Amino acid sequence: MKVRSAVSLGAALAMACMAAPAADYTPTRSIDVVVHSGPGAGNDVFARAVVGVLDQLKLVPQSMQVVNKTGGGGIVAMSYLGEKKGDDHLLGVFTGVWWVNPMIRKQAKVSIHDLTPIVRLILEPSVMAVRADSPYKNAKDFFEAAKRNPKKMKQSGGSVSGRDNTTRAVLQKASGAQWQFISMKSGGERVAALLGGHVDMMIMEPSEALEQIRAGKVRVIATLMKNRIPSLPDISTIGEQGYDAPEVPQARGFVGPPGMPSNARRYWEGIFSKLHKSKEWQAFVKQNHYEDGFLMGADFAKFSKEFEQTQRAILKEAGIKLLR
Amino acid sequence: MDVLTGLSHGFAIALAPMNLLWCFVGVFLGTIVGLLPGLGPSATVALLLPLATQMSPTSGIIMLAGIYYGAKYGGSTTAILLNVPGESASVVTCLDGFEMARKGRAGPALGIAAIASFVAGTIGVLLLMLVAPPVAEFALRFGPPEYFALMALGLSMVVLLAGRSMIKALLSMLVGLWLATIGIDLFTDGDRFTFNRIELVDGVHFVVAAIGLFAIGEVLANLRPAGGEQQFKVPKGLRNLLPNWQDLKDCRFAFLNGSLVGFFIGVLPGAGSTIASFVSYGLEKAVSRRREQFGTGVIEGVAAPEAANNSETGGALVPLLTLGIPGSATTAILLAAFILWGMRPGPLLIQDHPDIFWGLVASMYIGNVMLLIFNLPLVPLFAQILRLPAHILYSGILGISIVGVYSVDQRLFDVWLVAGFGLLGYLMRRLEYPAAPLLLGLVLGDLMENAVRQSLMMSNGDVSILYSRPLAATMLLFTAAILVGPMFRQFNIWRLRAAEQEA
Repeated sequence: MKVRSAVSLGAALAMACMAAPAADYTPTRSIDVVVHSGPGAGNDVFARAVVGVLDQLKLVPQSMQVVNKTGGGGIVAMSYLGEKKGDDHLLGVFTGVWWVNPMIRKQAKVSIHDLTPIVRLILEPSVMAVRADSPYKNAKDFFEAAKRNPKKMKQSGGSVSGRDNTTRAVLQKASGAQWQFISMKSGGERVAALLGGHVDMMIMEPSEALEQIRAGKVRVIATLMKNRIPSLPDISTIGEQGYDAPEVPQARGFVGPPGMPSNARRYWEGIFSKLHKSKEWQAFVKQNHYEDGFLMGADFAKFSKEFEQTQRAILKEAGIKLLR
Repeated sequence: MDVLTGLSHGFAIALAPMNLLWCFVGVFLGTIVGLLPGLGPSATVALLLPLATQMSPTSGIIMLAGIYYGAKYGGSTTAILLNVPGESASVVTCLDGFEMARKGRAGPALGIAAIASFVAGTIGVLLLMLVAPPVAEFALRFGPPEYFALMALGLSMVVLLAGRSMIKALLSMLVGLWLATIGIDLFTDGDRFTFNRIELVDGVHFVVAAIGLFAIGEVLANLRPAGGEQQFKVPKGLRNLLPNWQDLKDCRFAFLNGSLVGFFIGVLPGAGSTIASFVSYGLEKAVSRRREQFGTGVIEGVAAPEAANNSETGGALVPLLTLGIPGSATTAILLAAFILWGMRPGPLLIQDHPDIFWGLVASMYIGNVMLLIFNLPLVPLFAQILRLPAHILYSGILGISIVGVYSVDQRLFDVWLVAGFGLLGYLMRRLEYPAAPLLLGLVLGDLMENAVRQSLMMSNGDVSILYSRPLAATMLLFTAAILVGPMFRQFNIWRLRAAEQEA
């Protein structure tokens, strides 16, 4: 009994010193990892994979579970984090929409800048894919055809504020061609529309495209990063094909709720640094054809600011109303 | 690998003790989850994903798929006994299932639901095994115009769900279509009827509306000062608690109809089991010799949607396993499981990993048998719930409904919403507006609007795209036939007769 009260006294003292930077932090109960998509979507799989590797490496003494707070392209998850101000057993997984949607949605009360930045882990490249029997062998063929048939060519994708439409805006500006963007709710519908010939092009992630290429169903006509993608060494980048289009990668990583204690933040930065150095993590990045996008601290803050500016410019150009 | 060698190889894998155990764990958990309203198969599969990723891919997928099809067995139980649709696909089961329970035939209704689930589940796997690749290729021919036509066909079912007044049914459907527009519009990112509430950005959840209209509405309609007496008849004797030979004979066509409709709609990535259950119910009613009795507790009205709901699982696995495309929320999680195992399911999955495919197929045959053995003995047991006196039974329904609704998203907002829908359900019942058309509108409205807008974007506003493609045209012809039917006198006579029967 005495021991226990001494321990709880110690815990109370530790709580009191939470703000002091020197205090050590280790999680004392299970940690919730909030994602904004339903189970099975890209972000959810990413979160589960990270939790899986952390578990395998036994880096975190407590269990971590993925919690799905879906809706509004991230704003439901962000407002959930916003309500848990100062919680040190809570993490959120961000993607580009965490910058975009607070700018365009009335209901958003929390922006990415209110949250506690921790780490950017990966960049997910994208490629332009067409059906294998399509006449377009490279991006130029596609753009020329789109110019010959203005607004007749079609691309399948998600919501208009999502990455595939942003990428379309960038490509349209670089090529001077125009084509239709057909929003579809699920990723399954988008790929099915491409394979069924109902649309002409889709912006895909390499891991998704590679399996379809291997089965001879899809052809990649350009990759959309600055450098070639290692798993697709023969496909030239959009820049090599003579178009000046800035890359729009999908960034994924972790943030904490607003006002997360700095010792907890530093703890997670340490954990993610160890994760990043591990063989298991590097293998995971390679296997899913991601790019290593490891950034922390000031570098992450710089990225966050720049990313917001580029997104703002692209959205403005695409004619989407900005509220903030 | 041809089918027979593949299948015998598959059985060798699925019958290995560990895999058998995981199959059992999957279908057992699935049944329990199916019994609880609100918590659907996708949430449970997600919950067990961390465990599955520690297992070998074959055992893992056997267990996860077991939860998926196991949950569909249990979904009908609360629908039949308590008028609480546990998942969206069991709404149609409420129509005749709860009426059967009211008449003291809860046992046969539960029994036929289990048998229909078994027959259709098995036919679904059989079709998955035999015709998956060509059917997947065919499904790709469905673009937005074809989806629009399919949704129009689904919406035309309102004619068959209408009670005495067609006008009231259509008004109810329009309210459903309006509810479907709530949320953020996919195409413009604009808000519609969200009243700046963050809880409404994703729209109204189908289960919330269904539980409110059916279950809470039922409770409110039965509020009366006195309590204590038993509300429902429950016959004694095991024989009256299971379907008899005549029941099975009545359901012959329903088994087949539900199995085929469920499978083929399941294959389409943009449809789903709710539509499958509505369509198979409509089809069953349209061809039935006693269609005027539908809605009053006919056993085919339970068998058809339950069959469709279960063979949909086999169908939904087709695009996942043959094309690498997830067609539903649950198959998307199965796809995630493959990725976490370090594989990438694509068109070559069956070729690259025959063990997984054939092991899964064989385990699904075994799992369906397990589920039947599991569920049939539970039927007489569950039927006893209706012996409870009214004041306990109805407060129980209320409690289960609220817990179910809360478990969808863990939000108190949904509890208030379900209360609102309950009140609406009560008023509709009092004013004799049928609730099923509202739910039909709610589930199809969103999909149909998306399809028509996608089609018009594809054609730059040219409406002819909706009817000029052969597949779409065929489905629209069927729709037109169903819609103009009531204009003919003969049709109207049987419809009115049906209404009298229901009154």
